[in-house]
Amino acid sequence: MKNDDIVASVRTELLAQYETLEQKSDILKAPELKELFARIPTLEPRERAAFGQAINALSVELKAMVAAESGNEKELEPIDVTAPFDTNASRPDLLPSDQGTIHPLSQEIAQLSDIFNRMGFMIEESREIDDQYHMFETLNFPAGHPARDDYDTFMTVEKDKDGHPWIAPAHTSTMQNRVLKKYRQNLEKGEAIAAVVPDRVFRNEDLDARHEHTFYQLEGVYVSKDVHAGMLVATLQKFLEEYYGRALDVRVNPYYFPFTEPSFEFSLSCPFCNQKGCKVCSHEGWIELLGCGMIHPSVLKAADIDPGVYTGFAWGVGVDRLVMMKNGIEDVRHFHSAKLDFLRQF
Amino acid sequence: MRVSLNEIKQYINGELPPVDELVKRINEQLGGVEDVIDFGDIYKDAVIVRVVSCGKHPNADKLHVCLVDDAGVVEDVARNEDGYVKVVCGAPNVHADMFAVWLPPKAVVPSTYHDDEPFILGARELRGEMSNGMLASPKELGLGDSHEGILELDPDEWKPTSVDIKAGTSFAQAYGLDDKIIDIENKMFTHRPDLFGQLGVAREIAGITGKKFVSPDWYKDSPKFSNGSGLDLTVSNDASDVVPRFMAVAVKDLTVKPSPTWLQAELVRLGGKPINNIVDVTNYVMLLTAQPTHAYDYDKLRGHKLGTRMATKGETAELLNGKTYELSESDIVIVDGEGIVGLGGIMGGGNSEVSNETKNVVLEVANFDMYAIRKSSMRHGLFTDAVTRFNKGQSALQNPYVLDLLLKSVLDVAGGTQASEIEDKHAGLAEKISVTVHPDFINARLGLNFDSEQIETLLENVEFTVEEDSGSLRFTAPFWRTDIELPEDVVEEVGRLYGFDKLPRELPHRSIAPAPLDPKLQTKRLIRTSLKRSGANEVLTYSFVHRKLLEKAGQDDSEAFGLSNALSPDLQYYRLSLLPSLLDKVHPNIKNGFDEFVLYELGKGHHKQDVDEQGLPNETELLELVYASKRGGDGAPFYKVRRVIDQFFADTGIDVTYKTITKPLNYPGASVFEQSRSALVLTKSGQTLGIIGELKQSVRQGFKLPDTVAAASLSLALLHEAREAAGNAYVPLSRFPAISQDISLAVANDVSYADVFATAQEAVGQDADESLRLTLSPVSIYRADESDTKTITLRLNVVSYEKTLTDNDVKSLIKRISQSAKLALKAETI
Repeated sequence: MKNDDIVASVRTELLAQYETLEQKSDILKAPELKELFARIPTLEPRERAAFGQAINALSVELKAMVAAESGNEKELEPIDVTAPFDTNASRPDLLPSDQGTIHPLSQEIAQLSDIFNRMGFMIEESREIDDQYHMFETLNFPAGHPARDDYDTFMTVEKDKDGHPWIAPAHTSTMQNRVLKKYRQNLEKGEAIAAVVPDRVFRNEDLDARHEHTFYQLEGVYVSKDVHAGMLVATLQKFLEEYYGRALDVRVNPYYFPFTEPSFEFSLSCPFCNQKGCKVCSHEGWIELLGCGMIHPSVLKAADIDPGVYTGFAWGVGVDRLVMMKNGIEDVRHFHSAKLDFLRQF
Repeated sequence: MRVSLNEIKQYINGELPPVDELVKRINEQLGGVEDVIDFGDIYKDAVIVRVVSCGKHPNADKLHVCLVDDAGVVEDVARNEDGYVKVVCGAPNVHADMFAVWLPPKAVVPSTYHDDEPFILGARELRGEMSNGMLASPKELGLGDSHEGILELDPDEWKPTSVDIKAGTSFAQAYGLDDKIIDIENKMFTHRPDLFGQLGVAREIAGITGKKFVSPDWYKDSPKFSNGSGLDLTVSNDASDVVPRFMAVAVKDLTVKPSPTWLQAELVRLGGKPINNIVDVTNYVMLLTAQPTHAYDYDKLRGHKLGTRMATKGETAELLNGKTYELSESDIVIVDGEGIVGLGGIMGGGNSEVSNETKNVVLEVANFDMYAIRKSSMRHGLFTDAVTRFNKGQSALQNPYVLDLLLKSVLDVAGGTQASEIEDKHAGLAEKISVTVHPDFINARLGLNFDSEQIETLLENVEFTVEEDSGSLRFTAPFWRTDIELPEDVVEEVGRLYGFDKLPRELPHRSIAPAPLDPKLQTKRLIRTSLKRSGANEVLTYSFVHRKLLEKAGQDDSEAFGLSNALSPDLQYYRLSLLPSLLDKVHPNIKNGFDEFVLYELGKGHHKQDVDEQGLPNETELLELVYASKRGGDGAPFYKVRRVIDQFFADTGIDVTYKTITKPLNYPGASVFEQSRSALVLTKSGQTLGIIGELKQSVRQGFKLPDTVAAASLSLALLHEAREAAGNAYVPLSRFPAISQDISLAVANDVSYADVFATAQEAVGQDADESLRLTLSPVSIYRADESDTKTITLRLNVVSYEKTLTDNDVKSLIKRISQSAKLALKAETI
C-alpha cells in the first residue's frame, strides 16, 4: 500500500469508530493513530515529511470534530487586529521601563560570553535533546562505563534509530564534538579552535535549595598546536581575574573525567573575602569552581583531529553558582520560579 | 577513601611533611581531601595500667575493688600511699597482674565520642567504695561488640608499633590509635583501582613527596606457595568471561576468636568493625591492598566444592545482610556443590558464613569484570566495600600476592594449616602494559623542559619500570595499575607527580583578528533590551512539563517527547511550546500582589514528528510572551501585547503587518489563542513570524488567568532572519517646518483599519513629489454606541526638503485621501 493510501484507510476506519464513541475525545487516543505516528521513523527520510503532514492533517481534522462537539466556549466578539489600538480607546502605554528586567542568568551568560569573546572565543549554543553518541560516545564514555552514573541523565520514552533513548544533556560538553568539527578548518589555517558554549543542562535530581534539575553551564574548548596544561590554568585564571576584576590565585587538583586526560578540579582564591574566610568559601579561602583538563586524544580523534599534532583543553563551569555566589542568592530554585519579586531585583 | 597516616607511614621510607602540608600536597596532586579526623583525640585519655590487686567488693557479689598502677601519669586523681588508684570493676575476667586499659576520671568513653552527649567519667562511690574512672571493655573502647569482660592486653603479642605494654603507656600510642585519618574523595579514583587500599595511597604519597617507594616484599616478590593437603576442595570457574581469575585455598584446624588488639585497632581506624579474626583478616587485607577477599566455612560448602557461574533467571540468593535477592542471567554467583553461596564480587551468602564454631575455611581471592559488577550492584541496590573496589576494575595480576598475604595472616591470627593446593582458575590474563613516549611529547603537553632522567625518577618512585629506547622512554606500569594505556596517561602521571600547580602558566598566543560575534545571539540581546525597555520581565521555566499543563493549553501529549525516568511527575514531557509554562506563572504572581506585568521567555519547543535528516529532533526556538492585568484596561488586551511587540519591531527596524486569522491554525503553539481575537504577524515579504492574540476562555479558566490577558508566540529563527534583512530606517532631516492635518473617515464597521490606512497611504503616495516626505499616523478610532460605522482619524504630516509648505499643499493631499477612500471603501470624510 502506498503511504497516502495507508493514511486514507486509517481515516475511514477512525471516522467509523467516531460515530460509535461515547466519549468523543477518545478518538484522539486511538491506537490506529498512534501506529501511524510510530511508522514515521521506519520510512525513508525523503518520504517522512509528506507522510507526517498527511497524519497531521488527519489529527487536526479529528481534533476539530472533537472540539466542535464540546464547543460551548463563549463567543468573544472579533476585533480588528489590524488596528494599532482598540475602538474608542487610546494607544496603549508600555509598562514602566523601570520594572523591565533581564533574567539574572541571561545577564551573567552575556557577561561571561563577552569576556570570552574578547579573549578570542566564539560563542555557541547547546541542545535540549540529544543522542547518546554526542553526550557519551564522542566524549570517551564507553557504554556501561561507571562514569556515566555520575550524570543522572533524563531519558526519553522515544528511541533513536539505534534503539537508544534520547537524552537531555547533562553537560554542555554534548556540543564538544560538533564544535570541534565545525571549526576544524581553523587548524588547517594555523588558527586555534576557541569556543565557549553557555547553555541549559539537566540532571535528574530532586529539588532543594542547593539542587536543581535544570541549570546552566559554560563549556569551553581550545585546540591548537603546542597547547599545554599550564595554558589551561593561565587561560582560566585570566578569565576569572577579568570576571572578578581583581588579581586572584588559582590552583588545580587532579581529578577524573573520561573526556580529559589529565583532568583537574579548578579552585580560585575566594574573591569575596581575600581568603580571610567567609560564608561563600565556607571559611576555606578557596572555592572549588569547575572541572577541566586536557582534551582526551579519543575525543579529538572522534572529531577527526590528529592528537599527535594538536592538543587542547576544555572546561565546564556552572553559571547558576557564579550568580548565587555573587548575589548571595540562598535558593537555586528561585531561578526557574518566575517570581517577579525575585526577578525584579536584577 | 579513609587513609590512616600511621598506616601509610609504615610503608614510606623517611619523614613525611607535617599533616597540614601533607593534606595540601594530597589536594594538589592526588585528590580532594574531604576531612581530616584526629583519631587520637578519641583515645587521648586511655592509659594502659597494671592491675596490682583485685579483691572482692565488700558490699557487692559481682564487683571487684582493684588497685591499678598507671606509673603516676594521670594527674588529679586520688591515690593510696603506694601511688595506686582504686577502681571498681564488674568484669568477670579482671584479675591481678593483668594489663588493662584504664579510662580515668574526666575521660570520655571512646564508644560515645561521636554521640551528641559523650559520656564523661568521674570519681564516684559504688556501693560504698570509691571508683576512679573505669577499666574498659572492647566495646567501650569502640573495638567491636564484645562486652563480656574488660580488654586484657598481652604484652608479648605482636603489634605494628614498638611501644612496650607497661603501666602508664598511652593505649593510643601502643596500638597506633594516635592517628590522623585523611578522607579523600572517591571520585578522584574512578580510574585508579589501586588507590582503594592503604598501600596504593602510601605509594602515591611517596611519589608526590618525591620519595622512592618500595612495596613490601609480599607485594613485590612472586609468592612461593606451599603445597597443602588434608581437605578435599574442587574449584571451578564457569564464568570466566566475567570472572578473569578465581583463586582459592582451604585451611584446616583454625580457631575463630576475637582478633588480636592491634588488628582490631587497625580496622577501627580504617572505618571497619571487628567481628572475628577470620572476617577481620579478610577485611584488613582488602583495606590494605584494595583487593576484596572472602572466607567461607569449609564444612558448610556442600560437596566441598566452590565455583563461579552465571545465575539463571528466577534463582534466589540469601546474602549476609539477611535479605533474599532474585537473580537474573547477568548476575555472577559463587556456588558450592548444590547451590548459591554468594553473589560474586558483591556479597557473600548467609549459608556459608564463618561463625564461632568454624574449624575449617576456604579463602577466596577473585577478580570480577567491573561492568558486570556495576550492573548487578545497581540492579539490586547493593553497594558494598567490595563493589566500590571491583567496579573500578581491579588488576587480576595481584590476586596471587593477595592470596599469599591472606593465607599467611589467617594462619598467624587463627592457627591451623594449609589444607589444599592453591587453586587458580583463570582465562587469559592481561599482560603488563608498556607505553613508549618521547620526552618531548610529555614536555610539550606540560610546558616543561624535563630531561629523561627527571621523568624516570618521578615514575620510578611509584614503581614504574622505565627503559630508554632510542631517545624515547618505555614505561612499563606495575601490575596493579590498569589505567596506563596511552602516552597521555604517562603525561598525566608526570604532571601529577611533579605537581600541576608548578607548571608554567602562560596564555596561548593568538592573532589580533577579532573573534566574530554570533549574529543570532545579537538578535536575542536586542530582544531582551527592547523588552526590558517595554517593562517586560524575562523568565526561565523548565523545558519539561506535566501532562496537565499540556492539557490545559489544549496541546496533545502524543506529539511531545516523553521522559521515561524523571524523579518528579512535573517533568513528564518535553514541552511543545513555552506559553503553557508562562501561563502557569501568571496566577502565582498575581496572587503575590503584582497587578500588571509582561512575562516572556526565549526557549525551545520540541515536537516528536519534527526531526532532521539523521532523525535527530529539531529544536524550535521561540520567543513567547504573556501580558496579564488584574485591573483591566483601556481597550482589548490584544492591543497591549501588540504595543510591546510593535516597539520591538520599531527597535529592530523589522517591518510587519498583522493579519486576521481566517482559517484554523493547527500547530501546538497556536492552541491557546482565541483566533477571532488574534493575528498572524507577517513580514513585508509575507513570511509568518508568529501569532499574537487573546486566549481561549478554557485556557484562561484552566490557568486561572485574569480576563485581561493576551500573549504572543514568535519564531526566533524567523525574527532573526527578518532582523538581518531589515534596512536602515533613517530619514534625513529637513530645514523647513513640517505641517500636519487630520482627516476623519467614517467607514462601515467591518472595514479594517489596515484597509483604511493602506488606501490613504496609497492615495498620497501616488506620484508623490520626491521633495516631500509624507508620514501618515493613526489618531483615533471612534464608534458611537450601536452605530453601523466607525470613524478612523489619521494624521498626515508633510515636510518638504525644498520649501516651506502652505496649508493648501496639504489640503490637496487630504482631498486625494478623501476621494480614494470614498471610492474604495465608501468612506465619508467628516
